[in-house]
This record gives sequence, C-alpha cells and structure tokens, in this order.
Amino acid sequence: MIPFAIWMQNVPLFEAVRDSLYGYPIILTLHLTFISLFGAMVLATDFRLLGWGLRKHSISDIVNQLRVPKWIGLALVVTCGILILGAKAEEYFYNIFFQIKITLLALVAVHALVFRGSVYSKAAEMDKMPEPPARAKLAAALSLLLWICIACAGRAIGYIYPPAGSHHYAAQLFMKPPF
Amino acid sequence: MLIDNPLNSELAFPILECFHIVGFAIAIGSIALVDFRLLGFGLRRQNPADLFKETGLWVVIGLSTSIFAGLLLYSTDPDKYYLSWFFVVKMICLILAIVFNYTLHRKVILPGASQDKGILVACVSLALWVSVIVGGMLVSFYA
Repeated sequence: MIPFAIWMQNVPLFEAVRDSLYGYPIILTLHLTFISLFGAMVLATDFRLLGWGLRKHSISDIVNQLRVPKWIGLALVVTCGILILGAKAEEYFYNIFFQIKITLLALVAVHALVFRGSVYSKAAEMDKMPEPPARAKLAAALSLLLWICIACAGRAIGYIYPPAGSHHYAAQLFMKPPF
Repeated sequence: MLIDNPLNSELAFPILECFHIVGFAIAIGSIALVDFRLLGFGLRRQNPADLFKETGLWVVIGLSTSIFAGLLLYSTDPDKYYLSWFFVVKMICLILAIVFNYTLHRKVILPGASQDKGILVACVSLALWVSVIVGGMLVSFYA
C-alpha cells in the first residue's frame, strides 16, 4: 500500500491541497460540517428504527425520505476525506487509527449489505407492525455504534506522529502509478 | 501551590474531543434537519414544528455534551484559548447561534409563520452554526 500512498500524495490535486496555506483547514472544516449533516440523518433514521425518537412519523417516511440526502451527505463527507487523505497519504497509511477507521468503514459496507434487504428496503412493511422488529433495532444500534467509533477514530488519527523516514515526496521516482 | 490539571493526561484531551465532536454533530445536525426541511429538502412530508419539537431533546443532549466537553478542553489551557481572537469569535457565534435557535428560529417554525421567513431563518441558522464549526477549526489550527 505504501507505494500507492506515495503515488497518491504526488497527484497534483493532492499536492495542491498539501501545499496551500488554507486548503487543508478549509477542507477539514467542510469535512466536519458535512459529518454533522450526515450524522444527524443517520441519527434520525436509527433512532426512529429503535423507537427512541420521531415516533409520530412512520418508519417508511423517515427512512425513504432520508435515503437520497444521506447518500449526498456521505458523498460530501467522503470527498473531503479523500482530499485530506491524499494530501498526506503516506503518513495516514502508517497510522493505526486510520487503519482502524478504514476497517470500520468496511464494516459499514458489510452492515449495508447485510441489512439493506431485510431492514432498510422493508420500511413500508415495518409501518404495519406495532414495534420495529428486533433485526431492525439491531441494524440501527450497530449503525450508531459504527459511526460514533468512526468519528472517534477519525479524531484520534491526528494524535499519531508519522514514523521517521516517511513523507519522502520522491516525486520523480514515484510519479507513475504502481499498477 | 500549583496543582496539575488531571485533564492534562495524555488520553483525556483526545477522549474529550471525541465527546465534543459527537456532541456537536448530533446537535448541529439535528438543527440542520429542521433547517433543510424549511428549505424544502429532506423530511418534506413532516411538519417543521413537529420536527423541531421532536429533535429538541437531541439538540439539548448534543449541545450539553459538546459544551461540557468543551469547558473541560478549555480548562486544560485557559490562557491559550482566552487570548485567542478565534476563540472569542467562536464563543460569540456560539452564543448568537443558541440564542437565535431558541428565539427567532423557534418562533418562525412554530405554527403561523410565512414560508419566506422560514427560508431566511433556516439560512441564518445554518450560517451561524457553520460559523461555530469554522471557529472551532480556526482555534484548533491557529490558537
């Protein structure tokens, strides 16, 4: 992965982010802002499934109306995340909390694969039940847990110093992609 | 005699920051759900007044967590923050945002207000809360 990381941080776009005085803080601010927007939509969906909030509204109302906005929110968060990552890719790949964060994000994808068919696309059926089924509550609880851990791992990334010897922007040597 | 602040331990600061971030994400995001509803995005089938009431508790819990963690973070090095203009500006934005949320914002959302005012109020509310996040980043980078 390290040759890929070194290639990535030498892509002109990411170089520009790294070298600009304000690029990095501005993108980080946007990352956090979009996390708020996305996080609240996750919270609303999950709390509704758990029966902890928005109980006056049907599950399908909340789940279906937030589906597209959630995707947009996630896309914005991830776009900023990739810009931040690319600027210092090599450092991040050595970072234990970055590795944890990526693993947790992979688990989010697994979560989506496992529960999409049986929970999120069956919102209308759940409307007819007096209480959301246990599987839906499990999906919601896991989703909340995963996203909170991802936010915490994200913050922790900043506390790990890169190992000595990393950060060598050997641009001429590594300009070609490694694959 | 000077007593060391126990919050200066290596782990306390990052853990508090996690509470700070998760707290504000919940609070500001919940307010944004209502604001986006006012702008015609997201939960359009819901009534803004209902949403405002039902997310009210989330906002209170998120804000209290975030502010409490924030006070503890502040206490680790008060001079650094107190002397930073970015911190002062952030606090002014935060106070304005909270006051706005529970006065004009609330008044316009609760039944009987016009649609146009809703859009204006939603924009002001979003701008105020985003300015608090921007302030926070400025503090963390340049204070």
